[in-house]
Amino acid sequence: MTRLSNGALHLVLAAWAALVTLPLAWAVLSSLKTDAEIFDSPWTLPSTPHWENWARAWNEASIGRYLLNTVIVVGGALALVMLLGALCAYCLARYEFPGNRLVYYALVAGMLFPVFLALVPLFFVVDQLGMLGTYHGLILVYAAYALPFTVFFLHAFFRSLPSATAEAAFLDGCSHTGVFFRVMLPMARPGMVSVGIFNFLGLWNQYLLPLVLNPDPDRYVLAQGLAALAVSQGYRSDFSGLFAGLIIAILPVLLAYLLFQRQIRAGLTAGAVR
Amino acid sequence: MRHGKYRFLIGALAPPLLLYGVFVVSPYAQAFHLALTDWNGLSAEAGFVGLANFAELWGDPLFLAALRNNGLLLLAVPLATIALALFFAACLTGGGARRKGVRGSGLYRVVYFFPQLLSVAILGVLFQFVYTPGDGLLNGLLGAVGLDALQRSWLADPATALPAVAAVMVWSAVGFYVVLFTAAMDSIPADVVEAATLDGAGRFTLFRRITLPLVRDSVQVAYVYLGILALDGFALVQIMTVGPGGPDNATEVMGLTLYRAAFTYGEFGYAAAMGVTLFFITLTLTALALRATRSERVELA
Amino acid sequence: MNPTRRTVLRASTAAGAAAALSGCVTAGGSDPAEQATGAVTDENPLGVPADTDLEVVMFDGGYGDEYTRHAVTLYEERHPGAAVTHEGLQKVGEVLQPRFVAGEPPDVVDNTGAGRLDIAALADAGQLTDLAELLDAPSLDDPSVPVRDTLLPGVVEDGTLDGTAYFLNYSYVVWGVWYSRSLFDEHGWTYPATWDDMIALCGEIKAAGIAPWTWQGKYPEYMMDPLQSLAAKAGGLELVRAVDNLEPDAWRQDGVLAAADAIHRLVTGGHLLEGSEGLSHTEAQNAWSGGQAAFIPCGSWLEGEQQGVTPEGFDMTLAALPALTAADALPDGAVQGASSESFLVPAQALNPRGGLEYLRCLFSGEVARGFAESARAMPVVKGATEGLDLAPGLASVAAALDTAGEHVFGYKYRTWYPELAKAVDDATGELLTGRADPEQWADRIQQAADQTAADDTIAKHER
Repeated sequence: MTRLSNGALHLVLAAWAALVTLPLAWAVLSSLKTDAEIFDSPWTLPSTPHWENWARAWNEASIGRYLLNTVIVVGGALALVMLLGALCAYCLARYEFPGNRLVYYALVAGMLFPVFLALVPLFFVVDQLGMLGTYHGLILVYAAYALPFTVFFLHAFFRSLPSATAEAAFLDGCSHTGVFFRVMLPMARPGMVSVGIFNFLGLWNQYLLPLVLNPDPDRYVLAQGLAALAVSQGYRSDFSGLFAGLIIAILPVLLAYLLFQRQIRAGLTAGAVR
Repeated sequence: MRHGKYRFLIGALAPPLLLYGVFVVSPYAQAFHLALTDWNGLSAEAGFVGLANFAELWGDPLFLAALRNNGLLLLAVPLATIALALFFAACLTGGGARRKGVRGSGLYRVVYFFPQLLSVAILGVLFQFVYTPGDGLLNGLLGAVGLDALQRSWLADPATALPAVAAVMVWSAVGFYVVLFTAAMDSIPADVVEAATLDGAGRFTLFRRITLPLVRDSVQVAYVYLGILALDGFALVQIMTVGPGGPDNATEVMGLTLYRAAFTYGEFGYAAAMGVTLFFITLTLTALALRATRSERVELA
Repeated sequence: MNPTRRTVLRASTAAGAAAALSGCVTAGGSDPAEQATGAVTDENPLGVPADTDLEVVMFDGGYGDEYTRHAVTLYEERHPGAAVTHEGLQKVGEVLQPRFVAGEPPDVVDNTGAGRLDIAALADAGQLTDLAELLDAPSLDDPSVPVRDTLLPGVVEDGTLDGTAYFLNYSYVVWGVWYSRSLFDEHGWTYPATWDDMIALCGEIKAAGIAPWTWQGKYPEYMMDPLQSLAAKAGGLELVRAVDNLEPDAWRQDGVLAAADAIHRLVTGGHLLEGSEGLSHTEAQNAWSGGQAAFIPCGSWLEGEQQGVTPEGFDMTLAALPALTAADALPDGAVQGASSESFLVPAQALNPRGGLEYLRCLFSGEVARGFAESARAMPVVKGATEGLDLAPGLASVAAALDTAGEHVFGYKYRTWYPELAKAVDDATGELLTGRADPEQWADRIQQAADQTAADDTIAKHER
């Protein structure tokens, strides 16, 4: 009886695993085929692997450049939001001051609103600051929109940290800034790592903000570049190149996940559940 | 009070709050103002029209279609995602901590998370091919298992287009919540589970009586996040569907309506009114969801 | 970039950006800077100053920028004392908007692509030079013929706003039905002369195991082009004007209904490749290139778009729509056409005369021939493709244009009233899937057109 239901269970779990991997595997396969093969026989293996699709996506379709842009923007925004978010969350979690609750709720409320509500005015804010289509403009906006989640997540984390070490540091004459950077921040490292990973995923996959704020194809981020490729802005149709581009875009994220998956899961238990 | 507290607080809080104020709060505030004007995005000044934009919304078939579709997504996506995720999480953990989950559960946990790594843009592109009429991935799969009768132009049929979009949302979201719920279930104290098992509780009873109540908080968080996801759907629809938003508005979502009004038709005031409406809908639903799930809480003494 | 309608939607963000930015343009502008002129001679009809430099900013899109560079060479040969700066960009508007506002624009602009500036707004702000002088100047190829007369019909009109010619388009796009000549020869089929013949041929094609038609179902506008072409042929330019001017019952005119019925017969006769309604343009076009369907509707950019996947010896051919009735208002061979790639000379340019002269070089036969070869597209210069060894598709486009002569028509409602265009596309999608019949199709669109006409907030245009 148990054996039987265990078998059924495995079947269901394996079926979902297949359902999840199949489209990805198919994309990998298609990235190694010629366009004609993709259309004539979408189900067969490529006659010979066409690695040149990857080279073409990298060079001609500018996936390489999009990747670089994405790394610059996401890297910058991530660094910024981690620093500002941690500071902000720490102050709100560990200090009593008038307006503390108000600031906290105002920040966390930002998490609940779909971003595109702000799109139109945001476009003009960024435009008026002369930051349309610039790296720093995108970095600042990315960081601003990642701030609520970061604060929300780290707030709970800083609250849960023991006070004793901080007290001791104060008694030793450590400044507020010193306590934060030298005592509390290191203690919050697991939280920082997991929120960092969440932010990385979220920012890496950001589509709406760059769509509106980043109109210069030279500065396209991956999500934009791929969407543009998909609707074939390009002069010629190039499906194999598109699939190669998709895979190239997924690889860094996949790698990051495989490396950090333990922290991600630990972080989930630590933060989001609270 | 310790020395320099306020100086530190101001120094630490000013930059993030400034950033937040300029790029997040001020656009929202402006959206509220613009919603009361007929601004077209071109002219230097905007005429004040009061609540006319809001009145117009309720006679706009496009907006109403979008509202309906987002409503349907809101009903279906969180429910399906959470149900699937709870089921898989329970299987993987064996319903509670330290009971052995199924073999290979570590691998499943990794694999299930894959879709979370894909950006919506990539998702949209990928599923365009899954739903391709003729020999697309889905039709091919159905053909391979002898279900030819079910093959169709998934995205071109008004009856299946929205479910097809919803399925992509669920497909991509389940993995994340499996990880979330397994994490929650792993932290259920072993003795609670053991006690229940000794009492002769079966797998299902264990899940219903012990596991589910103890992961209630996680489910609540999941519901809010998924609700926000379902109220969006913009990128998926824009990349994937016929039209986009079609066929015949069957997949129109509010984000798309807003985007089109603002950026294609130059009706910025009207678009802002849509945004504000959506804002209040989201706010209300969030508050309701939090209130509804807050009621009973299981305390682990 | 091709003026496909899908680019418009796709690029709507950037267009919105441009629209918004031009708000500043209308508000801004400084005193005109000193503008150089030279003596007017037969050799120098536009009075270009001898040693004044020239700056041209060009859109570098699907057609490349070879032809705009070619014109630079020509200019430098004629004016050796001037240094020409050529810049190829993708987002023209982003770069140039602040320069227009600051009163320091370049001397010539190719205002094309997703990030282009709103030309009407620029004209309103007095930022554009009247091109009449250029149009009346002798052409580079034949001094006895003014530039105006070297251009294909409709080109000057396309660039005219409220009676003034402010810009000139370079590429000429024709819409029609595409087929593979080799496939047709193989089966002994000939392109039909009337729509009844078309339906009969569809039966034959189907019997041969090929789907008669496919279409880019995700973007119903692709099928709207043959439909509205049929309507225009049946009802003539009057019908087109009525539609564009939002006249009452314009969409219920006999010609329009007959055209919708004609297209609907493809559906009822089962002549569409199964699943076409769910195909993107690339998927449908590839299905067609792959021999799954015999006909596909598209503009003349198709050959360039399909370069990579067209089989050897496919011999793609564009044809004008067959006649709808025996009593069509327009003659056989009339085609839907329009120009794109807008070149303009900013009013505040430092060397506007040089700018005009550059356009004179650009619109010469020599540069136009190079454009046809490098970009595989039709230039707007008459006879530019004559004697060239054109790719088969482009040759058929040139032939179609030649046959059409003066009878080239185009609709404006799509650019004037984008909301109406959406209603049209939605209804056309329903028509092509058989969920709406021609009557319902017309009713839906007429209702949307009436709404547009009654909406005071939408700026109206007349033709």
